[in-house]
Amino acid sequence: MADLSTQNPCGLAQRVATALLRASGGTTACLQMPPLAGDSTNAGQLGLDAPGFLSLPLSPAVFRKARVSIQGAQLPKYELLISADAVAAQVTQLQLGSAQTLFFMASGVVVAGKLFLIEALSTSESQGAVYLYRLLLQEACGEWPM
Amino acid sequence: MQNAKDTFYITLRTRLATVNPSRTMTLRAVTRPGILVQEAEAPMPQPLLDAFALSWTGLETDLQLSAILAQMTCEIQYSTAGTQTNAGLDRGRALEEMDYEVLKLLYPYSAQKMNYTQNPAVPMETMVFWSEPEFGPIVTLRDRLTRAAKVIVFAYQEQGEQ
Repeated sequence: MADLSTQNPCGLAQRVATALLRASGGTTACLQMPPLAGDSTNAGQLGLDAPGFLSLPLSPAVFRKARVSIQGAQLPKYELLISADAVAAQVTQLQLGSAQTLFFMASGVVVAGKLFLIEALSTSESQGAVYLYRLLLQEACGEWPM
Repeated sequence: MQNAKDTFYITLRTRLATVNPSRTMTLRAVTRPGILVQEAEAPMPQPLLDAFALSWTGLETDLQLSAILAQMTCEIQYSTAGTQTNAGLDRGRALEEMDYEVLKLLYPYSAQKMNYTQNPAVPMETMVFWSEPEFGPIVTLRDRLTRAAKVIVFAYQEQGEQ
């Protein structure tokens, strides 16, 4: 049976999450996004051309080591908590359909000058609206400065 | 050897655009035929659905000939979860369609070797050849069916080629 009770989302959870992330030492994470006009040449698909990724800042965000057991020969995993307000602003600016599309398009995340690969995405919701995104990240092997 | 790998990918991509023009994907803001070289794209936690991913694994060389003959193993991996219209219940049929496309992409089993580091690409003196595909078993992961087809690609190393 459908829940017909009235619920008026007022953005409270989003504001609390943003404030909490900022108060918990919020930092800035940068999504590595493909250029808006992609490289459709052969060289672009063969690894010859530099991809020219754009850096898309998201803040406030909290970066911490994930609570997962680290197995042998595996790089450590981290998690990144991002405010839904910050993600929504970038989704609107890029005219994308959803936040999932934004994270799907990203080739990685740079935090404090280090590149991480996105392993998984999960969300926390209140009254049907996302207030927090949680990315599970894995350290990239490349040691080049970002 | 890189020229042979590049030629193999571009040949298959060109053929896919003819065999099934509707099999496209959007990757790095470009909509293109649904085939990619894994080592030339950003790492992905999950394989792209309904697209072919080439990965280069084995390498053997024959040094007894006048020119070095390289034998490279290419694995063509593809996954599908069927279509949303059929709630994924057509995933078996979708995988069979991709199996058939692999057969059509690979025939004929040769192409003129090209140097794609130059623009426009320059034809080289030898050909690239490859074997018939060796299909692996279907791997099922929840609603996703995956198969890999193994192809051996042969190419002579030409003078001055890196």
